[in-house]
Amino acid sequence: MTTVMEHPASAPGKPAAKQPLIEKLNIFTAFGLGIVMAILFWYLARTFLPENTEGSFIKTRLDAVTIIGMLGWFFGFMTGIGALIGPFRWLLGRDLNHDENMFYAGKDQGVKRYFRYTTDHKVVGIQYLVITIIIFFVGGTLAMLIRMNLGRSGGAWLQPQTYNAIVGTHGIVMIVGTIIMITGPFGNFIMPIMIGARDMAFPRLNALSFWLIVAAIPPMLSSFFFGGISTGWSAYAPLASQAPPGMDGYIMFIVIFAISTMVAGANITTTVVRMRAKGMTWNRTPIFIYGVVASVALALPVFPLFFLSQVMSAMDRALGSTFYDVRGGGSGWLYENLFWIMGHPEVYVILIPAVAALMEMAPVFTRRPLFSFNVAIMGIAGISGLSILVWAHHMYVTGWAPLLNGPFMLTTELISIPTGMLFLVLIGTLWRGRLWMTMPTASIYALLWNFMIGGITGIYLSDVPVDGALHGSMFVTAHFHYTLMGAGLTGALASLVFWFPKMTGRMFDKTASWVAFWLVQIGFNVAFMGMFFVGLAGQPRRVDAYAALFDQGNKITTMAAYTIMAGMLVLLYGVISSWTNGAIAPMNPWHAKTLDWTVPNPVPLENFDVLPVVTSDPYGYGKAQS
Amino acid sequence: MSVETHAHSNPHHEHPDVVGSRNRLGVILILVADITFALGVLFVYFYLKGQNVNGMWLPPASDTQSATSPVSSSGAWYLAIIAGIGLLSHRYALMGARAKSQSQLVLGSGVAFLLSLLGLIYQGMQINSASFTITMGAYASCYYLIAGLNFMHLAFTVFISLGNWNRSRLGLYQNDHWHVDIVEIWWVWMTVSSLLGAFALSFT
Repeated sequence: MTTVMEHPASAPGKPAAKQPLIEKLNIFTAFGLGIVMAILFWYLARTFLPENTEGSFIKTRLDAVTIIGMLGWFFGFMTGIGALIGPFRWLLGRDLNHDENMFYAGKDQGVKRYFRYTTDHKVVGIQYLVITIIIFFVGGTLAMLIRMNLGRSGGAWLQPQTYNAIVGTHGIVMIVGTIIMITGPFGNFIMPIMIGARDMAFPRLNALSFWLIVAAIPPMLSSFFFGGISTGWSAYAPLASQAPPGMDGYIMFIVIFAISTMVAGANITTTVVRMRAKGMTWNRTPIFIYGVVASVALALPVFPLFFLSQVMSAMDRALGSTFYDVRGGGSGWLYENLFWIMGHPEVYVILIPAVAALMEMAPVFTRRPLFSFNVAIMGIAGISGLSILVWAHHMYVTGWAPLLNGPFMLTTELISIPTGMLFLVLIGTLWRGRLWMTMPTASIYALLWNFMIGGITGIYLSDVPVDGALHGSMFVTAHFHYTLMGAGLTGALASLVFWFPKMTGRMFDKTASWVAFWLVQIGFNVAFMGMFFVGLAGQPRRVDAYAALFDQGNKITTMAAYTIMAGMLVLLYGVISSWTNGAIAPMNPWHAKTLDWTVPNPVPLENFDVLPVVTSDPYGYGKAQS
Repeated sequence: MSVETHAHSNPHHEHPDVVGSRNRLGVILILVADITFALGVLFVYFYLKGQNVNGMWLPPASDTQSATSPVSSSGAWYLAIIAGIGLLSHRYALMGARAKSQSQLVLGSGVAFLLSLLGLIYQGMQINSASFTITMGAYASCYYLIAGLNFMHLAFTVFISLGNWNRSRLGLYQNDHWHVDIVEIWWVWMTVSSLLGAFALSFT
């Protein structure tokens, strides 16, 4: 290992200088200490917590022991990776010196920096990319298991409880994967360079937000060994209160992930507000930056409510509080409100950066300015603002506040107006442009098609009477896959191909990108069209078996789902082969005009030798002065 | 995008005011999350109180357990007063930092630390001395949630006020004091959140 830390040379006959603590910590010490602490906490809880008896302050000892064990894991992992060094050094008044900060930035550490608490935003971006791929791999494998079970009527090769656990885990894993798929890899790697900054505003918080996600995953996956997440991703109370201890894994996962989201939201927003290059006025700030900031700024106030809902769920399960238990004065509607106040904006937390990324690419591949930059910003702002006023459309059939159904229907349908603005911007940019047909360009068309179907079916579902008929059916499942996957994931895959040269210094394999694109898009549309039809015919979601009536639609969906998987595997092959053996990428292979393409490959540690001064907008294609 | 590259003067070492301003915004944004969380807790309290599902906000006595009697809100108001005095002490320290008075800085931050510790201990005693358990109805659940949140806030305040006092003592704020400014933002929120908790618990 080469580092910039200078150790005092050892005099002959004297012991070698001690290696500083921060150099010793890495992912292996994190996992090691996490496991030791989990076992220790679990053992202590098991030994000292009172039995489930009348008058005991513990309601369900098993849940309390499970949660305490997971807390042990969490504290052990974060200590082992080095997250606590900074705060305690601050407390002691021994701030990190320049050498230590350079070490944290990963200077001269080669590949080892990817396994440490490294603060360089580019390292964090790559770490996010890898963890996103892993999350999608896990979630995708679970999806294939679901489709395998639904391949024929009667299902039956999975036990109903196992099936439910797989559906619930698939749901929440994919939601988290799609939340981080743009803002994680590209928001971290590309965004600071795009605004002309040397790093994020808070590099250590940046590393913290990533490692929190890593810490959150084992509790989640461990839930399979404790009865799984049998409630679906929404974990409705009081169903969740009665679920097996696997539910505690879900709770811990959400609590840790919510902290990560809050930290990342504050960090990214501060970076953009305070660290844009001189001359980069808001009118000259690229649209992708708006998308990323809107996404994280939207998450900032809504995820704490998700966090709160899960804290109360944990208290109900382990301590016997009655927040959601009607026998003790609680209310299931309380959970549903807290959950959906987060749950609906979260859809736009996923969608907005994906659409913004494609809006960033559209001018590049049409060689035209972005059509109506101001309308794009109004669209993003409109969606963000309205998205926090629509949550109860998920609750029409629950009986909560029927008088509010009408207003919530109205606000939900209003959201189609700013969404339409984003469509207008994309179509206006493509209109009569001289297209450079690449996989990202095709993805813009795919997004328009998929998002149109997802959006229009969303308008149906926002309608109170129609929702009464379709709620809880496969139609709903198909609808949200059209938005989150058809639009969101399409934007993310295009972003991967587009920014891959800057992130890795290699061009993405063109053939692999096209093969993956067509397999995924054809497979996706066939799979979820089939799901719309069986949903309209009445097939319920989250049920492991179905009537013979739905056989044909499900067979088609299952076959098409495997086509998507094949496409994703081709894409994974493309990532690995291009990263290892791909053609060396020039500095600006797409001839784009944003600042991220003005830095060399590989990007230097501090991005810019001298900070740039921006003198025009980023979409001045075809203008003489640009 | 047209770009010119001008070397900024000393680009690798930003002015403390620039760093301070950036850090202040970051802390405020993180506080947005905590404020939402705290407001969510108040929403839970008033929602369940308003619903009074099955008359179990404050359950009457039954064969198996006694009636749940609400705690006096005076304890929560005392805590808010402690937080308020802590804020004033910290403010006194900050004025010392601005006036380059090391003794005032150390004294103010030291007193603020002691008050945060006192608040933490008092909150712990309050939680221990409640006449009901968390299982005894929605009010009891909400009480422990609010008290628990305040306890966590106070624990964090102890950490940062200890660090602030220690750093003051070591003379680390002689050149710039934006850390002290930022700690004050936390103290303000600590005081406001204590007031909100006391306010809520006054409605039983």
